[in-house]
Amino acid sequence: MKSRREFLKQVSKAALVARVAPGMLSWALPQGQSIPFPGEDGMILRSFRFVDLETPVEYFNTWLTPVPHFFVRNHMHEPIELDAGNWRLSIGGEVEKPLTLNLSELSRFESHSIVNTLECAGNGRSLQRPQVPGIQWGKGAVGTAPFSGLRLRDVLQRAGVKPTGKHVMFRGLDEVPGKVPPFIRSIPIEKALDADTLIATQMNGSPLTKHHGFPARALVPGWIGAASCKWLTEIKVLDAEFVGNFMSPGYRFPNQPVKPGDAVRPEDTHPLTALNVKSVISGPVDGSSLKAGKVVVRGAAWAGEADIVKVEISADDGATWDTAKLGHDRAHYAWRLWSYDWKPAKAGNYTLQSRATDSQGRTQPAAPVWNPSGYLNNAVDQVNVHVS
Amino acid sequence: MFRSMFRKASPSFERARFQAAPRSSCIKRALPAVALLASAAALPFVAPAQQPTPANVTADLPAGAMQAKATATCLECHEARIILQQRLSKAAWAKEVDKMTKWGAVVDPADRDALIDYLSTNFNPDKPAYEPQRTTDKNGAGRASK
Repeated sequence: MKSRREFLKQVSKAALVARVAPGMLSWALPQGQSIPFPGEDGMILRSFRFVDLETPVEYFNTWLTPVPHFFVRNHMHEPIELDAGNWRLSIGGEVEKPLTLNLSELSRFESHSIVNTLECAGNGRSLQRPQVPGIQWGKGAVGTAPFSGLRLRDVLQRAGVKPTGKHVMFRGLDEVPGKVPPFIRSIPIEKALDADTLIATQMNGSPLTKHHGFPARALVPGWIGAASCKWLTEIKVLDAEFVGNFMSPGYRFPNQPVKPGDAVRPEDTHPLTALNVKSVISGPVDGSSLKAGKVVVRGAAWAGEADIVKVEISADDGATWDTAKLGHDRAHYAWRLWSYDWKPAKAGNYTLQSRATDSQGRTQPAAPVWNPSGYLNNAVDQVNVHVS
Repeated sequence: MFRSMFRKASPSFERARFQAAPRSSCIKRALPAVALLASAAALPFVAPAQQPTPANVTADLPAGAMQAKATATCLECHEARIILQQRLSKAAWAKEVDKMTKWGAVVDPADRDALIDYLSTNFNPDKPAYEPQRTTDKNGAGRASK
């Protein structure tokens, strides 16, 4: 185990190096365990084929997540053929005037940027007990980046949404294996017409990389990552929610608390939309050995469409909570970094916990709210540390 | 370059994709398009060049009577790590096997129960936690951090 000083020194070194050459971060990797992966560095490999990569929590020390450290979630294979010149986006369904746009035409719409915290609905699934099937994400299927492009609203308004248009469906160019249902989902028209819902073509100031949906993706701010369809190729206005695997039974949450083994009827569930309130401790990392004295506990907290109002830290199993200091960087849909100066009274083993509260009055629960697909685990975060 | 990646990653993968998704039979045609993208890096809407991927990226399913059949059946569409990381009850594995069969996995009905036994024996809640590997951008080929 590293001492706190070594840890912080390495983290700050890493932050410095990350701006220059992400490839030099290999100090963080267990020897002989790393898998070469161009453009993705130090990421936790949940799956190589198809690609699912998780960000180690210790990377959450910058407000914006560098692209090589941004989690990647794919439900199936990435498109093999991606030719920017031939790429087209069709807009149809319940509209007056169906459109087909190429990238050059998209770029003529007014541009708009938002900073968004994107989180996979299954982030934290592996921490549920009993475990449920799916990618066994730890705490790092989340990241924050500026996204820019055009407003979905502007495209829909040009096409002219009919009064019958109630939902907006996105289809991506994912390569579908076998008889797997295609990855198609829809969002309600109100969210589609929100001024901050984008057809994004850029992330962190550069064109989207292939893993993040080049050349264009939906970006539905504050909502579960699955709403923000990558490799977008078709937008269809529907008179009802899209019917398909990734709307039901996928990405739904029970209306009432359920226990493991309970049969949950589809009509007793609702589709996942906005993210809930959550925090993560980025340092010290779980299992750290620290020297007595001042310890800076750091992390990030986010709340989907709501704002973080408070992050509290406990070092005594939740008996008492102290307020952490929130970072200056903020944006409507983005996380807040936070820090807390902890002075452990004596040597020993401690559990550090973080608990966020948002502007809707929501607070993280003490334990995961178990559900059959392991979605939206927003339990109070905790790490175990030893102080000598 | 995609072609070589798939071939090295899994000999059966390319074949599987030709069978599974008609669109993927465009691999040959895709190559000039990818080369075009890579050479046009200065244009505004261009994906970064994809690097060739080294061979040692795959993981194997554990030994057992059903190893070969599980490999052939499950790894046509996804890799072993997706299985290795699960810790599920036998009932949950049965649901997964039946779901995957519905989604195109070729499971001989005579093998169904043995496959479920194999998966639940190796990947049940009593097994130690799966230790995932990390990636490395060995050549520093990633996009500059912003």
